[in-house]
Amino acid sequence: MTDTVSAGRILPGGLGYIRPPAEIELAAYGLDLRGLRVADVGAGEGRLALGAARDAKSVLAVDPDRGALARGRAQAKRQGISNVKFREGAAQSLRLADASFDVVIFSWTL
Amino acid sequence: MVDALTEAHRILVERGVFVDARPDSRVPAQVHAGSAGGRVIGTIGTQRPTKTDDQLSDRAVRDVLRRKLFRSRRHGRLWHAIPFEDSDELNDYLRDHLRFSRRVSWSVPAGRRTTPLFVERAVRFEILEKR
Repeated sequence: MTDTVSAGRILPGGLGYIRPPAEIELAAYGLDLRGLRVADVGAGEGRLALGAARDAKSVLAVDPDRGALARGRAQAKRQGISNVKFREGAAQSLRLADASFDVVIFSWTL
Repeated sequence: MVDALTEAHRILVERGVFVDARPDSRVPAQVHAGSAGGRVIGTIGTQRPTKTDDQLSDRAVRDVLRRKLFRSRRHGRLWHAIPFEDSDELNDYLRDHLRFSRRVSWSVPAGRRTTPLFVERAVRFEILEKR
């Protein structure tokens, strides 16, 4: 049996928010990421990965776009976030070990 | 798409959680006048190729559920509002957009389109658990 939920209406402040802020999207999922290993596949610049890193034990952001990954790394450094890593890769062939993550997120990926 | 879901399944621990979140192309975006909760003065559809892609994604998710790789734990929808100063700015945004239709279907004449405008769109998500 599944639960159906509808998160509240959202008003992010200012132009440039073409996607929901990470904290709002993650809150809608209703997941407790504390202590968990998270993979954000199709992470782009790490919008969601950096948000998840606040609670998760570790986050791996995977994306085929090297430029986006570089911007994500720079953003992580600026924010002093050390438990997120960025790696080049494609969702169809993840070069990652079996059973190595507690949570896998595809946000705007499929 | 099924390949990607199979990969997600492979790297998850037993009972690990998979999240699929995407704009919901089944629901037209609404253009609100004045504020995000303001009157709806138009709608924006989704381009046909994008709708087709979304249907393929839906099919891929159904496929892995049918194969019992995952079970569905929860699903829902959140709403995301994007502000625009006026219709010119919105039209510029739509011109190159990959998902939205190129034009707004306005329900009021130009003189009654109170600014700013807020495009509110649905984002659907589904939480699956590895079986």
